[in-house]
Amino acid sequence: MSKTRVHKRALARRAFLSQGGLGFGVAAVKGLFQQSLQANNKPKSTLSERGVPPGIAGLPHFAPKAKRVIYLYMSGGPSHLETFDYKPELDRLDGKPMPESFTKGQPIAQLQGQALKVQGHLSKFRRHGQSGQWISDFLPWHGKMADDLCIIRSMVTDQINHDPAHTVMNTGTQISGRPSIGSWLTYGLGSECDNLPGFVVMTSFAGRNPQPISQRMWGPGFLPSRYQGVEFQSGGEPVHYLRPPRGISDSLQGELVHRIQTMDAIHNRERDQPEVRTRIAAYEMAFRMQTSVPHLLNLADETKSVLDSYGATPGDGSFASNCLLARKLAEQGVRFIQLYHRDWDHHGDLALYMDMCCKATDRATWALLTDLKQRGMLEETLVIWGGEFGRTPMFQGKGGPGRDHHMKGFSLWMAGGGIKPGTSIGSTDELGYNASENVVHVRDLHATILHQMGIRHDLLSVRNQGLDMRLTGVETARVLTEALS
Amino acid sequence: MMGPGIAVLIFLLAAFAKPEETIPPKIDFNRDIRPILADKCFSCHGPDQARRKGGLRLDDEVAAKAPRKNGLIAPERVNDSLLLKRILSKDSEEVMPPPENNKSLSPEQKTLLTQWVEGGAPWSIHWSYASLAPFDSRQTIDGLLTRSLKNNSLELSQEADQVTLVRRLQFDLLGMIAKDPEKFHLSPSPKTSRDWKKAIDAMLASDAYAERMASWWLDLVRYADTVGYHGDQDHNASPYRDWVIDAFAQNMPFDLFTQMQLAGDLLDLKGPEVVRAKIASCYNRLLQTSHEGGVQPKEYLAIYAADRVRNLSTVWLGATVGCAQCHSHKFDPYTQRDFYSIAAFFADIDEEKHLRGGGGDTVPTRRPPEMAVVTDRDILALKEAQLRRDKVLDPSVPESLKQAMASFHHAEVTKLSKPRLVMITQSIPPRPTRVLARGNWMDETGELVDSGVPAFLGMLKNPKGRASRLDLALWLTETQSGAGRLVARVLANRIWALFFGEGISVNLEDLGSQGDPPTHPELLDHLANELIHSGWDMRSLIKKIVSSHAYRQSSSASPSQRQRDPNNLLFARQASFRLPAEMIRDSALSLSGLLDQKVGGPSIKPYQPEGYYSLLNFPKRGYKPSVGTDQFRRGLYIHWQRQFLHPMLRAFDAPSREECSVRRPNANTPRAALVLLNDPTFIEAAKSLARQQNPKPPSAQSGLANLFQRVTGRLPIAAEMNEMEELQKSALAWFTQNPKEARSFLGGSFTGEEAREGEFAALTVVCRLLLNLAETNTRN
Repeated sequence: MSKTRVHKRALARRAFLSQGGLGFGVAAVKGLFQQSLQANNKPKSTLSERGVPPGIAGLPHFAPKAKRVIYLYMSGGPSHLETFDYKPELDRLDGKPMPESFTKGQPIAQLQGQALKVQGHLSKFRRHGQSGQWISDFLPWHGKMADDLCIIRSMVTDQINHDPAHTVMNTGTQISGRPSIGSWLTYGLGSECDNLPGFVVMTSFAGRNPQPISQRMWGPGFLPSRYQGVEFQSGGEPVHYLRPPRGISDSLQGELVHRIQTMDAIHNRERDQPEVRTRIAAYEMAFRMQTSVPHLLNLADETKSVLDSYGATPGDGSFASNCLLARKLAEQGVRFIQLYHRDWDHHGDLALYMDMCCKATDRATWALLTDLKQRGMLEETLVIWGGEFGRTPMFQGKGGPGRDHHMKGFSLWMAGGGIKPGTSIGSTDELGYNASENVVHVRDLHATILHQMGIRHDLLSVRNQGLDMRLTGVETARVLTEALS
Repeated sequence: MMGPGIAVLIFLLAAFAKPEETIPPKIDFNRDIRPILADKCFSCHGPDQARRKGGLRLDDEVAAKAPRKNGLIAPERVNDSLLLKRILSKDSEEVMPPPENNKSLSPEQKTLLTQWVEGGAPWSIHWSYASLAPFDSRQTIDGLLTRSLKNNSLELSQEADQVTLVRRLQFDLLGMIAKDPEKFHLSPSPKTSRDWKKAIDAMLASDAYAERMASWWLDLVRYADTVGYHGDQDHNASPYRDWVIDAFAQNMPFDLFTQMQLAGDLLDLKGPEVVRAKIASCYNRLLQTSHEGGVQPKEYLAIYAADRVRNLSTVWLGATVGCAQCHSHKFDPYTQRDFYSIAAFFADIDEEKHLRGGGGDTVPTRRPPEMAVVTDRDILALKEAQLRRDKVLDPSVPESLKQAMASFHHAEVTKLSKPRLVMITQSIPPRPTRVLARGNWMDETGELVDSGVPAFLGMLKNPKGRASRLDLALWLTETQSGAGRLVARVLANRIWALFFGEGISVNLEDLGSQGDPPTHPELLDHLANELIHSGWDMRSLIKKIVSSHAYRQSSSASPSQRQRDPNNLLFARQASFRLPAEMIRDSALSLSGLLDQKVGGPSIKPYQPEGYYSLLNFPKRGYKPSVGTDQFRRGLYIHWQRQFLHPMLRAFDAPSREECSVRRPNANTPRAALVLLNDPTFIEAAKSLARQQNPKPPSAQSGLANLFQRVTGRLPIAAEMNEMEELQKSALAWFTQNPKEARSFLGGSFTGEEAREGEFAALTVVCRLLLNLAETNTRN
């Protein structure tokens, strides 16, 4: 090594150390909290001063195809065999014992210890649209939008029970305490609107004992609470503690907020702590939400024809109303909107409950897609429809015929947001048991969602418990390039 | 991206800008080099043999320096150093780490590695596994910190002002502003060092201190009132929470504290201690459990085993052994076998009862084995309640009131005399434990393993036969042959962080090679030594910390301090941070006089938005807020519903306690603002605070000033007075014009004459202002 190089290195190193870096191990600081403190010193934009999460520097990694995600989460596990996965062989073997070659050594949920027999389709299937996609008769309105959808028929997940499977679908692992998709997105990209949260969750059910769903599914995990999904209620107070106490007028509440901010600012004059500035902004946003959220949730201003197209009645808390609200939230710049419909766990009387579920969701889903399209928003909105797993090709009989939980092959679709319309990906075997062709793991779906939002899934990580944690985990995940337009 | 050429130029400029800079400190392997190797190299050249590339290993000195054709490190022939060649290579095929790994070295890191090799590549064992520096009882926190700061051209800040110190001590030691500051000799403010000592001793001896410490511990061991999975039904754990409080109140040594929790059922004890130790053994049952329809017992046994290993390793070892479930650790020398060997310690815990026969969609659910207990404090409370009831019989009390009170106390007595259930650990013949390939519970081909500890962390002491949970617990705090030194460092670092906002090693979770080297290694070793040599006495360590000048420093950062050390990792000043959720609640209740200081008992349910549990099912859940003074108990008694944590706790970053939580974030968010503004608990506190105000202050102004002082500890400046007065005026105008609104706002809480309702309501609005201030909710 030449002397000059050595000299330069020595100088460089000395300069580096003198800047308060490595000499103290400060450069080795990795935790998120330090990152966020530094982010406050050097915000990516002025967003944090407006009280909304700023996002992290360097993101998006490339031009995003989608600006936002609307995730229609069909909680309970809709049957792929009564929605999108047509298997003539299943009907042929209806009532016959399930061939052991499929089930031997496989994990089984409620059918543990029972004789396994094939359950044929409980509905007719037909081809729809130019693309000729197979869709069941339970979903007539889906038929009308077949050419907008990219149906994945080869999904697999890791968990066979609801709670852990939800956790995998939303956070990438069954271990509690990891951030959900929406939390990752708002952490990475920040929030766009300053009068609404960047990540909103709404729930609905219609007429049967609904699946419980945990806040963990929209939780921030180890990220700060500002990245968690905010639940909007359609009845009562739309957001917890949104309304001023009884007897306090909006203007008095406004004055109170203003004076809290002023006093914080007075006290902060000397110390000038960035966290206090953020706090002042947070009070501002809290006050804005007090008017913006009820205004947004009010469907009374929507025309009758819009309401009818969704099948929504203002204030009914239905999936249809939530779909319409999702469109309004999307218009306002909310980045991640997740609608849980909690009725899809059909161990028995599947035909009856499928009918109920599809009637509650099918038309509204079509209306949402159509509405987004008409407003020119579909191409920048990634819409996802799917549950935490599928259902067995085997019969389960809690009441009339039904199906048990199934994780080795199920269906899910994406639309808009740079997704190739009128296509399908992958397939299951002849009985719809194992995903056999072009298997898509949950982590591949996650990688694709992040990709459409301009994020490289392998680069969005946060150091936690000594590891660089990612939504897609440590296994190799792939972006479903064949699904992209 | 900045090219290396530009980077060098910047460094040159910076160097010229500071020509007076002294010679940089010597390279320290653990501080400067190991973190780079761990972060950039270990994933392919580390402890995980299965993924090791090219047979190269950089986590082990012997392996890394083993003779090869072109010496890997080769300090004696720097020009031949393969390590330097590869990291400095411009060839994208040759350069290490490979570009596709996204782990490229920065120019500074390359410089450091070069300097290191040039300097002879000195190596040392990872700092947290190394021996502790020899203990010197004459050393002090201030002495060690001052010396270490001096090496970094820094010095301790001046002492904080009295008001700040009095508040800081209360938050740190009591977890709230005291309801009765006289009790702790805080009023009038301590002046002399004897006064301070008296105050500190009184606080450390209080139940409030025990509760504050318990909150911290409960985050670590993931204590909650519900099972966590699926139906998230209640389970019986509150006596364990009370046991933790008692342990801190009695200053139980940490080694015994460890043994009781991991193996209370195996300890050889007598008398009431047997029961207490069984309650403590509830630790092993605190994990998330499920009886969702279709749960496969074998799968859940594997899930529970992994959960326990994760918790044990994070809480005691400051390690992330969890990832060794599927493969040997990539960064630390934990093997996959170690993971299952640790899991095997827990293989004797009776799980069958609840997985097969237990459960049930009921609240609470059944989680046998359980035990019915009445704690000492329950009995004490019972006696007090009886005393109160007896007092009711005093003839001077009017008959009507007497009856009402008698029935109330009767209810209280009945409630208290009911024993509570607590899940306990019961040892059964151990299930066989296998190494599960890639963590797959269905794979039965893996090797069977015995209970055992990681080889690099010493060994178990004379286990008789199969090593038990008790052997594990003893090993954890055994400082010669066990993991005691590491455990002492982990614990000392976390205790320090409770009182300085950050750890000396900043990553509190992980003291392994992915963690951070301590900023003041000698100080950390000293604190660890203090723990060990005092017989694991946590209170004595805490007393030493809060009695130091380091602790009493001002938290104001000068511009140069902020520039040198923006995140205060060197402690040349004190920390300033938003209070944790429970402290915010507790202080508001305490300041307003509402706080009920009863210790222990079943969990309580504060007001909560209607329908908040509507997404729970199996069974569907209602919510009945606690009645009477139970409504105003401390935050650590709040019913901890894992899936739907109380919105106030959630808004202020309290963890769901599904997993171990070593530190909490403390962000300021709109939702937190909404809670402080509108949560009925805080409205009640504001009313009560207003009611507490001296009814006849000499002037309205001094009334507001008193209130301000009560809440913040200091007198307001003119501009602040003005804000309060203006708000009071507006509120008074509103309520005067709308007397009905005043009535509606006050609810049933005002008993005086009607004409003053408006004034009272307006004063309450000012109290809301005070409870919402950043200053009120910040520890400085």
